[in-house]
Amino acid sequence: MAKKTYDLLFKLLLIGDSGVGKTCLLFRFSDDAFNTTFISTIGIDFKIKTVELGGKKIKLQIWDTAGQERFHTITTSYYRGAMGIMLVYDITNGKTFDNISKWLRNIDEHANEDVEKMILGNKCDMEDKRQVSKDRGDAIAREHGIPFLETSAKANINVEKAFMDLAQAILNKTPSGRDSQPNNVDVHRNQDVGNRRCC
Amino acid sequence: MSTYKARLQEFKTILEAEVIDFKKLRKLVFSGCPYEAGLRSKCWKLMLYYLPKNTSEWEKETKKQRTTYLQFIDEMIIKPGTEASDGAIEDVTLDDHPLNPNPESKWRAYFKDNEMLLQIDKDCRRLCPDLNFFQKATEHPCSRLCGENSFETLRKRVEQCVLQSESVSQNRLGITNMATSRRKPSNEFMLLPDGQEAHWEVCERILFVYAKLNPGLGYIQGMNEILGPIYYTFATDPDADCRENAEADSFFCFTNLMSEIRDNFIKTLDDSQCGIGSLMNQLMTTLKEKDVTLWYKLQEQDLKPQFYAFRWLTLLLSQEFPLPDVLRIWDSLFADDKRFNFLIKVGCAMLLLLKDDLLTGDFPSNMKLVQNFPYSSFDVQVVIKKAVDIR
Repeated sequence: MAKKTYDLLFKLLLIGDSGVGKTCLLFRFSDDAFNTTFISTIGIDFKIKTVELGGKKIKLQIWDTAGQERFHTITTSYYRGAMGIMLVYDITNGKTFDNISKWLRNIDEHANEDVEKMILGNKCDMEDKRQVSKDRGDAIAREHGIPFLETSAKANINVEKAFMDLAQAILNKTPSGRDSQPNNVDVHRNQDVGNRRCC
Repeated sequence: MSTYKARLQEFKTILEAEVIDFKKLRKLVFSGCPYEAGLRSKCWKLMLYYLPKNTSEWEKETKKQRTTYLQFIDEMIIKPGTEASDGAIEDVTLDDHPLNPNPESKWRAYFKDNEMLLQIDKDCRRLCPDLNFFQKATEHPCSRLCGENSFETLRKRVEQCVLQSESVSQNRLGITNMATSRRKPSNEFMLLPDGQEAHWEVCERILFVYAKLNPGLGYIQGMNEILGPIYYTFATDPDADCRENAEADSFFCFTNLMSEIRDNFIKTLDDSQCGIGSLMNQLMTTLKEKDVTLWYKLQEQDLKPQFYAFRWLTLLLSQEFPLPDVLRIWDSLFADDKRFNFLIKVGCAMLLLLKDDLLTGDFPSNMKLVQNFPYSSFDVQVVIKKAVDIR
């Protein structure tokens, strides 16, 4: 690996109650497939996907976390390095929506101040089991000034868009993201990759 | 072949003796239990101190334990279930009601249990999804809970929770409606008809009873992955008696095993001397001793043990290998007289086996490697051999 195969590296984090479909969303995005039989995530999981945005190759490093309270000490340590955080709830489970404010507090406590956030109401294909109206999702998102989307990993609704929107929001803040200097590979956001210098 | 037969004979001789020679047995089990004649089940029950060392006491002891388990079922499932359907708990009085904040409140406890049960349910449904075993019906459903019941079983309770929580909905105008569509409990995993239950439901019950008996710990995700291999071993044993009592026996073996590893599941112990943090440190110390280059590489990349070893060690590697390999690894883990020292060594061996790739890989590819150990490239015997060499 003499040459970098990407221009920018963005670190994203998926959080939310257990069973809301974080792993499925990530699997849909990274592998374009759906699997109902995922085992529960213990600790933290990790996936990479390279996308193109604004003429730049962006490597997304996505951390998928376990939802249960027990794993919070392990998972909150990743908040700090994250540039974007997806907060997921399940539209068929009101409790997971009620916990959104708890998760937002977590972000305030542990993440960088300028972290880009996004709220996702997952499982929107299950209309007959809906417990949380889209309006309520919209309202809480507006209240906190965070973009919001309803998604379905199963029916492949808005999954790509969610990740791309989040990446775009981070890109917009990145100095090199606005002025496209063709040879500008190692600016700002890439610094922490720099000291890792893979081979 | 004859060495294999001789090995079987060795097992038999030890297990048929009046008093089990634990030292000898440990040595044998450490190098793997044969599937034949229910040897693995018997050995695990001994290694996990469920069976006493005097073989003459086995029958009496297991009988006593199995009766105890039935009493637990009675107390934790049938009694509350009866109260729930008799309306005793639904009886709203001045003393107790659904909004009672008193920790002694029956209502409060009932709601809290439901929450826990739903979590267990979610996790048990997704137990070993690559294997259809857990989805299949058991030949030995719990007879007191199956079929027509006057009380609320766990299955009904799960259905009830899901139903209740969606029976009221609000429309866009803010008008509250009773939902008209009755929801099927789950469309992803079909439930078996009444009178039958799937193996995962048995596991759910074991975990629920365990969590009720250990209220300080409760149910933590991942416990299902510790119970799974034990229950699988007992429920697929060639011996009918072992299969029939797989539920009760697994419960006690799981309980005994948890008493040794429960600290790994407790968040407040993460940074203490006995929690998962200290296990991860041990792994890194061992690696540093054995291969400082590899250790340095991981440090340099900031590839922390929390990213992978947290799961490896908490779950005793049960998510890192296919089930048959897990069983083989657990033979050695359980036979380790300094439990769970050997676990650290197996973890270290896994890293050492990946050394060449890890030294040349970048952070993301290394993360992928340690999060998805390429078990198809290394026979489980190779992993164990490597771990033994660390000794």
